[in-house]
Amino acid sequence: MSQHTISPEITFAPDHLGGTKRIWKTFYLLSILTIFELAIGLTIYNIHKGAHPNASLVLAFKGLVCILTLAKAFYIVSVFMHLGDEIRNMIMTIVVPLALFIWFVIAFLSDGNSWKNLRNTDAGSKPDTHLVAPAAKEPGQKD
Amino acid sequence: MSTTAIPTGTKWWNGGRSPFNASYGKVMMWYFLMSDAFTFGAFLISYGTLRFSENYWVDPNHVFSAFPFAEGMNLPLSFVSLMTFILIFSSVTMVLAVHEGHKMNRKAVEKYIFWTIIGGLAFLSCQAWEWTHLLTHQHEVWINGINGAAGHVELWNTTVSHNPFGPEVTINGHQYATPGPVAFGSYFFEITGFHGFHVFSGVIINLIMYIKTKMGHFDQRGHYEMVEKAGLYWHFVDLVWVFVFLCFYLI
Amino acid sequence: MSSAVSLQQASHTGHDVDHGHEHHQSFISKYIFSQDHKTIAKQFLITGIIWAIIGGLFSVLFRLQLGFPDTTFPFLEDLLGHWAKGGKISPEFYYALVTMHGTILVFFVLTAGLSGTFANFLIPLQIGARDMASPLLNMLSYWFFFLASVIMMSSLFTQTGPASGGWTIYPPLSALGDASMGSKIGMDLWLMAMAMFIISSLLGGLNYITTILNMRTKGMSMTRLPLTIWALFFTAVLGVLSFPVLFSGVILLLFDRHLGTSFFLSDIVVAGKILPNEGGSAILFQHLFWFLGHPEVYIIILPTMGIASEVMSINARKPIFGYMAMVASLFAICILAFLVWAHHMFVTGMNPFVGSVFVLLTLLIAVPSAIKVFNWLTTLWRGNIRFTPGMLFSIGFVSMFISGGLTGIFLGNSALDIHLHDTYFNIAHFHIVMGVAGMFGMFAGIYHWFPKMFGRYLNNTLAYIHFWVTMVGAYFIFWPMYYEGLAGMPRRYYDYANWESFKMFGGLNEFISVVAIIVFATQLLFVVNFFYSIWKGRKVTTLNPWNANTLEWTTPIKPGHGNWVGEIPEVHRWPYDYSKDGQDFIPQDVPVGENETRH
Ligand code: HEM
Ligand SMILES: [Cu+2]
Repeated sequence: MSQHTISPEITFAPDHLGGTKRIWKTFYLLSILTIFELAIGLTIYNIHKGAHPNASLVLAFKGLVCILTLAKAFYIVSVFMHLGDEIRNMIMTIVVPLALFIWFVIAFLSDGNSWKNLRNTDAGSKPDTHLVAPAAKEPGQKD
Repeated sequence: MSTTAIPTGTKWWNGGRSPFNASYGKVMMWYFLMSDAFTFGAFLISYGTLRFSENYWVDPNHVFSAFPFAEGMNLPLSFVSLMTFILIFSSVTMVLAVHEGHKMNRKAVEKYIFWTIIGGLAFLSCQAWEWTHLLTHQHEVWINGINGAAGHVELWNTTVSHNPFGPEVTINGHQYATPGPVAFGSYFFEITGFHGFHVFSGVIINLIMYIKTKMGHFDQRGHYEMVEKAGLYWHFVDLVWVFVFLCFYLI
Repeated sequence: MSSAVSLQQASHTGHDVDHGHEHHQSFISKYIFSQDHKTIAKQFLITGIIWAIIGGLFSVLFRLQLGFPDTTFPFLEDLLGHWAKGGKISPEFYYALVTMHGTILVFFVLTAGLSGTFANFLIPLQIGARDMASPLLNMLSYWFFFLASVIMMSSLFTQTGPASGGWTIYPPLSALGDASMGSKIGMDLWLMAMAMFIISSLLGGLNYITTILNMRTKGMSMTRLPLTIWALFFTAVLGVLSFPVLFSGVILLLFDRHLGTSFFLSDIVVAGKILPNEGGSAILFQHLFWFLGHPEVYIIILPTMGIASEVMSINARKPIFGYMAMVASLFAICILAFLVWAHHMFVTGMNPFVGSVFVLLTLLIAVPSAIKVFNWLTTLWRGNIRFTPGMLFSIGFVSMFISGGLTGIFLGNSALDIHLHDTYFNIAHFHIVMGVAGMFGMFAGIYHWFPKMFGRYLNNTLAYIHFWVTMVGAYFIFWPMYYEGLAGMPRRYYDYANWESFKMFGGLNEFISVVAIIVFATQLLFVVNFFYSIWKGRKVTTLNPWNANTLEWTTPIKPGHGNWVGEIPEVHRWPYDYSKDGQDFIPQDVPVGENETRH
């Protein structure tokens, strides 16, 4: 390839062979995943419209969308951003620190959940009335 | 078209070279994007935290069901799908620009960056429309005054401090929504705003890339690495959108 | 970005012609908008010293109130005007002083002043690079810090005074403009300054990381890096991944203040009036703050750990004990630092189960910390110790780290922390382990690398006075606070004489205040020594005055931009070959001999 050296730190000319086929393939994949996500979103919508929405079914669908989103993120990063083509060392320095998000998410969300429980039960001193479906509430009752 | 195969057993970490065979600029861009991921992550996670602390949350299908020039129709998720596809497509044109850059194909780079800019502008326009719609479109809400005052109906739009998407109540056989959780609007405008700001700055960066390409700067320099770095930024913006899309529109 | 690449090319071609010798640069491009990492380091250092004097002065002012709550000092009114009517600091101003003292010392002195100085100065010199990866961004990093400094400084001169909600700026004090005097414009300026500061530290940190990864000279493998570089590397990683989270918190706070959101506010009553804010959580802010806040304390201590390791090995004329263990424990501390933030929030109403996980993770930090202490002590063991000022401060650092770090383990137990939280026990803990140890590490670095920075020596007599008074004084100031805290004396009270139960601490508080003033005066001695020696100090005449192994001592006595005249030396060994094979020291650029023993 007729590339000049980009900088002296690069000791081997990077391999940029290959056509645009992979790019388009990834595009189709992302599109399909997105359509799937939208379908699930609408399914959740329809479940909600029904008389007795099944909470665990909704939760399962939401979990599924999250997984699909992670898949999309993976393809964007690895193909569009070419991280998949980099040297393994570099991939690791970028992917491994992202693991910090695991505890970040768990700690924050579980604490949020706990504030709700504390508030609903007056810090454990009364039963949680919110465990029933929210639709059963009186007008204007504040959460 | 020859490429140097990287000899096995190369001592990547011994100094005198990049351990990643990458220029410092690219490495720096990657780590910048990581730190930006923590900014966005912190926003989205605190959104999730407040959402978990609420008994009731807004159903996105109720909020995002409008489409331009389709007044009065109920089209949940349609407009945001359009926005998502615009952004994915602009990512494709961007990656094609980078690809052509590797081949030192100036005309093609120009073309693809141009379309990427158009995509970015289209996305921003969509966002402007969506914000305007939320801020101006009014819904009936059943307000029950604090301290037992009699309830009444008001017309509410969606702002950072209130929204009309709370749980529904039936009064005299008529269904009304009640005020929704405040944090919904706050986070929606804050996070999509911050993302939109990133798209905007991405458009500016791409504009600069476009001009530089047109003026032949990269040909003189002998490589299009800067387009590659701009591309990384642009894809990151797309990546963030994938998560914003998930958190606000899908679940 | 655009300028980054072109600049790199320019500097790579430029460097080869520009070895060391003076070329005709204007004053502005040489001393003000300089892109030379050494000049930028000095800019950080001097700005940091100015901030340290201001921050220290603030502590003297509020120590006057704490030590002598019933006395009036008429000169205070002359100095501070309406903030000290009748010679007594007003409560509002007392809180402003405490807040600014914390902010200044933590962020402006021990983060920017410390990392900014030593990362900039040492990284290129010790890894064998002509400059940072991107000298331009490096320069911008300083100027963003300067901007942050100007904004923070200007908040001191506003009508309602600077921020006064504590350095941790918890809402609602920080989120409601009406909450207190310092919640008004002072708080806004604080937030703006911090936003600039975060940009500065990001630009710096990204540069440090990429430089260490990409710009090492031939032979400088990662396991041959001096521990200073490893420490600065992990510091930069901590900063790059945790400051953005504070950035998010700052932005959300600005929204709450000015755009009517309620991220951190709920159910608030001010003067009998219910505010409309609902649904937010003040604890959420604390999570966001401490997600940075805890890594921040390690951003402060890691560079000084690196400095102490290096200085102690050189002055004990012994290889550092357990090099790999030192690197591994830096790494472990770096990871754990991200996982333990909520140990600052045990009594906020956080989920107690999550709290117990945080207890476990927190106590784990004691392991790598103990490894490091053990290795420092064994490095000293049977060494051939030279008690230079830098060495003394390094040893002082270890002492402080031990006596402050051990009490962290008390605090890390949530059950004990219910009693100790927000008492003087906490104050003593973090001042000894972070404040004093951090300052000691910084002093050690300054005394050690001053000859390289300015081509002159600091005055030793003044240095010894400085060390001994500070060392003894610091213990006199902070050790008694452990007892006060155990006895229940809370922090952030304006006037302890008002409480029957705290009256008994009056004498002790007075004693602490007197020592604090003496110690502060001694620091001025250091400042005098510093500025005097820059121009009038004894000149350095040898290339390697400490007989050290690292690469910075292979440069000319006053290196120019580009650092080395001619080729950058190649590296053949680790930096700790002291007292080896009958030789006192073997610099890193000396090739390995045929029958040399391997470490
Ligand atoms: C074994 C190691 C350590 C443990 C287990 C530990 C634990 C703790 C805990 C639990 C607290 C919260 C106390 C409270 O607010 O009630 C605390 C406060 C603090 N620690 Fe540590 N710590 C350790 C080492 C360090 C180090 C090395 C530094 C700094 C270099 C440090 C700096 C601080 C600071 C600044 C605070 C208080 C901040 C404030 O409330 O204003 N700690 N520590
Ligand atoms: Cu901590």
